[in-house]
Amino acid sequence: MSLNSSTAYPDRPSAFRSQSNRALNDSNDSSPPSITKSNASMASSDPQSTFAVKAGLAQMLKGGVIMDVINVEQARIAEEAGACAVMALERVPADIRAQGGVARMSDPSMIQDIMRAVTIPVMAKARIGHFVECQILQAIGVDYIDESEVLTPADPTNHVDKHQYNTPFVCGCRNLGEALRRISEGAAMIRTKGEAGTGDVVEAVRHMQTVNAEIARASSASDADLRAMARELECDLTLLRETAKLKRLPVVNFAAGGIATPADAALMMQMGCDGVFVGSGIFKSGDAAKRAKAIVQATTHYNDPKVLAEVSIGLGEAMVGINCSSMHETEKMAKRGCRGSDCRQHLLPIAQIDHIFM
Amino acid sequence: MSSHGDGQLQMTNLTVGVLALQGAFAEHIKLLRQAADELRLQSNDTLQHNTHPHASPHTDGVPKDADADADILIHKPYSTSTDFFNHSFDCIEVRNASELARCDALILPGGESTSISLIAERCGLLEPLRDFVKVARKPVWGTCAGLILLAESANKSKSSGQELIGGLDVRVQRNYFGRQVESFEADLDLPFLESGPFHSVFIRAPVVEKVLTPTSSVPSASSDDTVLAPPRQATRAQVEILGRLPGRAKTIKDKTVHAEDLGEDGDIVAVRQGNVFGIAFHPELTGDSRIHGWWLREVLKAKTAQREIGDTDSPKSLVTGS
Repeated sequence: MSLNSSTAYPDRPSAFRSQSNRALNDSNDSSPPSITKSNASMASSDPQSTFAVKAGLAQMLKGGVIMDVINVEQARIAEEAGACAVMALERVPADIRAQGGVARMSDPSMIQDIMRAVTIPVMAKARIGHFVECQILQAIGVDYIDESEVLTPADPTNHVDKHQYNTPFVCGCRNLGEALRRISEGAAMIRTKGEAGTGDVVEAVRHMQTVNAEIARASSASDADLRAMARELECDLTLLRETAKLKRLPVVNFAAGGIATPADAALMMQMGCDGVFVGSGIFKSGDAAKRAKAIVQATTHYNDPKVLAEVSIGLGEAMVGINCSSMHETEKMAKRGCRGSDCRQHLLPIAQIDHIFM
Repeated sequence: MSSHGDGQLQMTNLTVGVLALQGAFAEHIKLLRQAADELRLQSNDTLQHNTHPHASPHTDGVPKDADADADILIHKPYSTSTDFFNHSFDCIEVRNASELARCDALILPGGESTSISLIAERCGLLEPLRDFVKVARKPVWGTCAGLILLAESANKSKSSGQELIGGLDVRVQRNYFGRQVESFEADLDLPFLESGPFHSVFIRAPVVEKVLTPTSSVPSASSDDTVLAPPRQATRAQVEILGRLPGRAKTIKDKTVHAEDLGEDGDIVAVRQGNVFGIAFHPELTGDSRIHGWWLREVLKAKTAQREIGDTDSPKSLVTGS
């Protein structure tokens, strides 16, 4: 496994800046031991790891499509199709579902090959709570880390403390409380969980509807109601207030999990998503390149049914898919990840996020 | 530096488009509206108090250390006297040629330049965009990915190349600072802005690597990953450097270098050539509307000049602001 790619990252002190979650958590006040300059990444004064810089890349991805790819060839097809980023992983969710077993972070050399092959941002997945996989992904220089329920969770109670990293994180959610907890932990981008690897958009729709309904409720709530709501949703009150004021999530929110057609992508955009992840939907279909282009066009012209009709013509076979309503609850990946009450809360200074969506 | 008799203008409509194919276009629209409101308030004050709204442009911030290429015109301050009061302002998202045709001026937002150019190509928008920038010569502003698209040449492009719109005789280097972990924030002194440095965000940002000679003799692609925009009508306007990333900002990135070693002659991050303005960073992510306000006044000046010259004249003669 060669980690010394010449282009991937410079010799900054550290890739391995972030230490164990728990070590930091336990010794919050006293200076963490040894590792020189390890604190640099924690201080918001470091101009490189500010929340604005992390959330800023997500803002640059808006209106775009992020595609799951498993090799260089697929990554090039995605880039040619107009993807705004790719997610590098060894198995797409449909295969993880079919093959079973433990799904882990991909081989770094495979991710690095993809990073060298394309000029667009490259994301990669780490298991929920597996902070060492996150350190590895940061060390090889991926542009975004997806702490993803698609992989087998590594920690039954905690998500990764994402403030400790220079690399930004995206996390999945099924509702507003889950979204705001992930943002508290340092996620700079949110996506719906949906139900990955099914090709059935129903769960992504359900999650987006839930988030929208809860934001609408928060927006019309009094401050006393917001306090009650923060307790109910088990989320940070300051972030909830900010969400209520903005009438949207305070970071970029993409759709993910089950999107398989241009119409699915436009559906999620019309529901208020900022962009779309497409996992198995592209490379598990008949004509991947054509479908990828069509989904990109549909995401841009999501409000123009004429364009949507044009791009939906003759795409060949869509991925076969699994009907979510016929699945057993234990088969659903979206259930993975910890409940709110189990998670530590890390308060994000509101000043860091309040200008992102002004 | 003479001010036009803007006060006597009829109410006219100013439509500014933001290319909404992919990227941070909503953020630009928000800041444009904010800037327009501020300008309207300022003009209103001016009418009421009959005083000049702006301090005289200062020259202190102008970089004088020009060991840069001889053909580079160092920025001169501009008159900022433009009256916004007599204009109704409209800001639209542009996704097709008919929306583009409504625009007096256009912003190309940050995003992924490959995505934006591929989507533009597929909706038949590339040629209309080139005509807008290089034939009609309407005011255009690109940020980050927008700067890449407006450059006549770009390197480090994707393996099968990339379509550019062009308009700026410069070569940009994509992802100059590296990947996302190398993205950063920095304060910039921009000589065309009053009241202090501009806090800017650089996300996988490009820089202007070289200013090309603005003639028809566009160099052929020097290496495999360098791409060129197709030529249109040449312009007489020269490339002006409006901002550099100072050495001290670079040292934030690379702790092995000291600011003193680099001097103040940093990387070029803001340029203008006639009607085309390009910057490598993201004012749309900051909430600071000063650059948007400055650019809107420049747009208004161009539009006013166009009205004074009359529609018979070639629009090419409007290209310079100085």
